[in-house]
Amino acid sequence: MKKTWIGLIVIVALGLVVWGISSMSGNQATNDTGAVKIGAVLPLTGDAAVYGEPLNKVLQIAVGEINANGGINGRQVQLLVEDGKCNGQDAASAAQKLINVDGVKVIIGGFCSSESLAMVPIAAAAKVALISPGSSSPKLTNASPYFVRNYPSDSAQGAVLANIAFTDKGWKKVAFIQEQTDYAQGVQSAFSAEFTKLGGTVTNEQFPTETADFRSLVSKVKSGNPDAVFLSVQTPAVAARILTQIKQLGWKPKLMAADVVPGDPETVSKYKDILEGTLTAEFGTDATNPKFAAMITSYKTQYGEEPPYQGYAQTVYDSAYLVQAAIVAVGYDGTKVANWLHTVKDWQGASGLVTIGANGDPITGHKPEVITGGKVMPYVK
Amino acid sequence: MDILPQIILNSLIAGSLYALAAMSFNLIYGVSRSFNLAHGVFATVAAYAVLFLAFHTAIPLPLTITLGILMAVLLGYLLERSIFRPLRLRKASNLVLLIASLGASIVVEALIAIFFSSQFQTLSSLLPPFGTLHILGGTLTDLQAFIIICSVVVLGVFWLVLSYTRFGKAVRAVSDDEEVAKIVGINTNAIIGIVFMIGAGVMGLAGILAGFDTGLEPHMGFILLLGAAIAAVVGGVGNVYGAFLGAFILGFAENFGVFFVSGEWKYAIAFGVLILFLLFRPQGILGKK
Repeated sequence: MKKTWIGLIVIVALGLVVWGISSMSGNQATNDTGAVKIGAVLPLTGDAAVYGEPLNKVLQIAVGEINANGGINGRQVQLLVEDGKCNGQDAASAAQKLINVDGVKVIIGGFCSSESLAMVPIAAAAKVALISPGSSSPKLTNASPYFVRNYPSDSAQGAVLANIAFTDKGWKKVAFIQEQTDYAQGVQSAFSAEFTKLGGTVTNEQFPTETADFRSLVSKVKSGNPDAVFLSVQTPAVAARILTQIKQLGWKPKLMAADVVPGDPETVSKYKDILEGTLTAEFGTDATNPKFAAMITSYKTQYGEEPPYQGYAQTVYDSAYLVQAAIVAVGYDGTKVANWLHTVKDWQGASGLVTIGANGDPITGHKPEVITGGKVMPYVK
Repeated sequence: MDILPQIILNSLIAGSLYALAAMSFNLIYGVSRSFNLAHGVFATVAAYAVLFLAFHTAIPLPLTITLGILMAVLLGYLLERSIFRPLRLRKASNLVLLIASLGASIVVEALIAIFFSSQFQTLSSLLPPFGTLHILGGTLTDLQAFIIICSVVVLGVFWLVLSYTRFGKAVRAVSDDEEVAKIVGINTNAIIGIVFMIGAGVMGLAGILAGFDTGLEPHMGFILLLGAAIAAVVGGVGNVYGAFLGAFILGFAENFGVFFVSGEWKYAIAFGVLILFLLFRPQGILGKK
């Protein structure tokens, strides 16, 4: 009994402390002369640190450039980076710390989808704007009025491909072979929604990730005589298994594939025979874009190497500039910044022309591609 | 296109791999009377041994495959000597043996993942491109035909050895009753040890064939083991011939399930078959021999 009482007292005391801190810090950063505080949550330790570390450097470069050019309305930007460890729990405490202790109104992050999913309700409750440069889970579409992302949803590629398949290729019946994961499911449902709206039909064969024997599944898809087969898989390895078994059945269907396939050069060249002509869509980079080229050059001069994961580097870089543009336009206010970010249209960044829809997702993004001769080439009608 | 012959062929291929796994599983169960969850790692270790030797040494392929099987045999011997025999002699309960074998399986799988990564890899590049055979409107590769032949040959060899050799009689005696076998002068520990090695070798063969056919990853043995365990229960636990039958029933159920229902139901169907047999015919089709 005694222990319960002590526990209760501790909880109440902790609650008072948290409440006290949050009410004290509410107005901390609104003075008009000090630095503009911008928070960031990236995975800096753990497996996903391979992304977080270089992307943190990219973010520092962007903020350094902004400050060198006069900051935001003459005020310097102070970037506060916290470690979200690519999981919801740590990202949530990082967001709490940034919001309640540092009093930031804008946070860049999370990077991993799990980070963003955990941060969204916290930011919304505190009226803080969130912009994620890397989270791609379809669950984040329309997540909150305080959340936008400039990295496209996994499902966006589904819509891009549906249009090409139906309009350009004239395919009416597409058979999906879909792995049972959130990502693969997202691609499938986005494609189906668009494709059936256009008037096509979609069949779907799902399989659990650990499946090694696809023979009967492939035989069944084959017997349905589809115009094309869409491989919606989570990893290139699974695609490799399915491709081998399609080949062994002596079948040569027209193929489409989720972006993990063109993202893996080894699979593309190893299975070039059967992948010849495969339609796919990736969120790629454009080296001819001067802003992109400038970002690569600054990174090289500062760190002596090209930045890895350039598809993400470009959106991280852009996120800092989007935040700058938002604060310049509407002031340092979480609600206003979030609203402004929802209306971004044809904004020129390192990742190309950025347009963000009312659902918080970028409208532009995945570029259609076709696999030819063991290489991924841009799709031309 | 008439798809039925293809589904039948697919069922035979899947059934053959399960048959190799299930016959070896039941052979060991018959003498040791414990559900050996480490049985799957014999397949994994053999397949990875072939992967390693083939890509890092100049040893010719047939010898590599032999060495892969011998690795599984060696592991079978080591597990029996270091874990199962001491526990058996201590009269440990079946639950203890089950947990110990699960532990051994997890340790070996983890070691393989550490040394070879969890990435999916293939052996098929070691062989010339597979030829395809057309049978009654279905196709299968010559490797897949070889897998089917292997399972039948192993069944035949098991039958000959168990029926007509002194060793086979001793194995059957130990399976019937270990205590009585001991009383009539059979060195039961030696028999169990040898059976472990044979079973491990056959499971190793299954692993290597699966590695050539679909590829390998550290978890592959456990998936084969699940199929083997279901086939064993369906056919009759401890019964080598029942295992063969059970494996093909499972292969057909899975593949026809995928065809008539859907791919995501594959495991549900497999375990559904298991539950039906456990409820209505727990002794399996052929029963315990």
